[in-house]
Amino acid sequence: MNAHPWRQRLYHLVLWVVALAFFMPVLWIFLAAFKSSGELVSPNPVFLFRPTMDNIIRVVQEPNFLDYLRMSFILSIGSVVIAIAVAFLAAYSFSRYRPTGTNFIMFLLLSTRMVPAPAVVLPIFLMYTALGWAKTFHGMILFYVMFSIPFSLWILKGFLDGVSLRYDETALVNGGSRLHTMFRVVLPQVKPGLVAAFIFNIIFVWNEFLFNYILGGQGTTMIPVLLATGVKQGGMTDWSFIAAISFIYMLPLILAIYVFQRYLLVGMTFGTVRGEV
Amino acid sequence: MADIRVEHLTKTFGALRAVDDVSFAFPSGKVTCLLGPSGCGKTTLMRIIAGLEAQTAGAVYFGDHDVSRLSPSKRNIGMVFQYPVVYRGISVYRNIELPLQSMKLSRSERIRRVDEAIYLMGLTASAAQDVSKLDNGTRQKVAVAREVARQPQFILFDEPITNVDAASKLQLKRSLKELTRSLSQTIIYVTHDQTEAMTLADQIALMEEGKIVQCAPPRELYNHPADRFGGWFLGNPGMVFFTAALSGTDGARALASPLFPAPIAVSGATGEASDVTIGIRPEHIRLSADPLPGSVPAQVDRKTVQIGGQYLVALTVDGLANHGFKAKVAPSVGERLPASGPVHVALPLDQVSLFDAAGNRIAATLRPAGAPNRAQ
Repeated sequence: MNAHPWRQRLYHLVLWVVALAFFMPVLWIFLAAFKSSGELVSPNPVFLFRPTMDNIIRVVQEPNFLDYLRMSFILSIGSVVIAIAVAFLAAYSFSRYRPTGTNFIMFLLLSTRMVPAPAVVLPIFLMYTALGWAKTFHGMILFYVMFSIPFSLWILKGFLDGVSLRYDETALVNGGSRLHTMFRVVLPQVKPGLVAAFIFNIIFVWNEFLFNYILGGQGTTMIPVLLATGVKQGGMTDWSFIAAISFIYMLPLILAIYVFQRYLLVGMTFGTVRGEV
Repeated sequence: MADIRVEHLTKTFGALRAVDDVSFAFPSGKVTCLLGPSGCGKTTLMRIIAGLEAQTAGAVYFGDHDVSRLSPSKRNIGMVFQYPVVYRGISVYRNIELPLQSMKLSRSERIRRVDEAIYLMGLTASAAQDVSKLDNGTRQKVAVAREVARQPQFILFDEPITNVDAASKLQLKRSLKELTRSLSQTIIYVTHDQTEAMTLADQIALMEEGKIVQCAPPRELYNHPADRFGGWFLGNPGMVFFTAALSGTDGARALASPLFPAPIAVSGATGEASDVTIGIRPEHIRLSADPLPGSVPAQVDRKTVQIGGQYLVALTVDGLANHGFKAKVAPSVGERLPASGPVHVALPLDQVSLFDAAGNRIAATLRPAGAPNRAQ
């Protein structure tokens, strides 16, 4: 499609404006992290200011911050890695053996992600309390694993369906076992899918607040809970503190998304391009 | 080296009999091509031999061993598929080496085998390259080299050239030809491309509707098809057919057709006299602007040039029930023929095949009436 040069430039301009509009809140947080409290709550927006590291230092020195950050990393990475391992095995079975009702089973699995979180938090809380899993580390990990599996399964099945069955057959004929076929031959072919599933799910778990707040305990609290509950100072919301925490907390995720953005794109279009590969 | 035998092999998919009671032996050290149109069951037969498909009935033997229930990984075979199966993200060398790692070979033996396979398939220049960056033709070479390096008992090829671009196709075909000659291994090669089969095969097993209808060396299969299907399927275009009347009794049979100026004496044909089918390869039909011995008048409807400079000439002969047919003539002959108009056509009797009403070849010798019967 060849648009006129001026029209193409206009399209690009519109795209930039929209992208910047989306980026504005992030930019606001980033700038706010380096402003003084006075500059931050000033009725007239302050665009030119002398950056300060005070907020960042204050956050790092906050007694619970590093523990919560560590828990964010452990719960996010741990649960998503387990979820992807389980989802890969399930996706392989669904893709290769096609049990009766595959599509319906897959729909059922994804249905947990269709229900609004506040609607399921109570039954899950009751279930967890009955099982004695509330406020436990394994309970929290299991919950995030459970929540990450369906979406990972959908992504990975899409990718596995795109990998020709001939890969499996070649590996089998070459003397490989089913496990060898699965892990040494097929798994490397869906590497972009694994990365895409990892990133999508880590975004969810990393930023999850509600379930961590309700089901988690002192030892399993993540940064989003700290953001929502520990930011009062003298009866006022401490916006500098929020901005500084947010800045630090967003950095790893933004970095990961930037590095793996091409996989995200592949993940978002999974299933649209098929054929023997 | 062992041969591969299948006995009363049947495979059904619902009501469809993909492989229909096939009993056949693939001789050791030979390249056997399974040739036939799409859907005739050749790939299914190969997949059963590989163990990738379970037979409905019958058995598969490797030498004297019944391998019917053995998993593919235990059959010690190599298989190359239609789509080049390569492991992306790693080099050509690693692709070939990967299956050898689970074979408990010494490092030096592994290196020797990989190097040999790379050399055989002409992959030396691209050995260090990532396979993702290669074209389909080279990828397929990698897939072949991987199987060769494993040194399996048998190698099965399932239309390995089909998904390769035209330029690579020729090169790959040449590589495969050299490879099969140097390996002297039992090889089954499935294809629907007769040129490929003719080039590579020691023998061709022709398949139709789940059955092997004829097996013979390429030239014999081409010149003496066992039935009308073989005549029609092989050749470009395939054999042309005409109906003719076979009269008389054993020992004094005569064949009458508007294609012959006089009835032809037929010896060797037994059974009831009836309508038969005459078959002849288009390139065996002789054409001339001037009368030839044994020729009849014909009409050129059009002539077209084919690849290689040969002419394809559309003809009609008065009195032929099934009207037009095509002859293929050399450039020197074709150039002298009119674009349309009268010519003379002759069917060399030694190139004519006769088929009965069921389409099976009649073992008969044709000679001009009155000529001595040399067959006796």
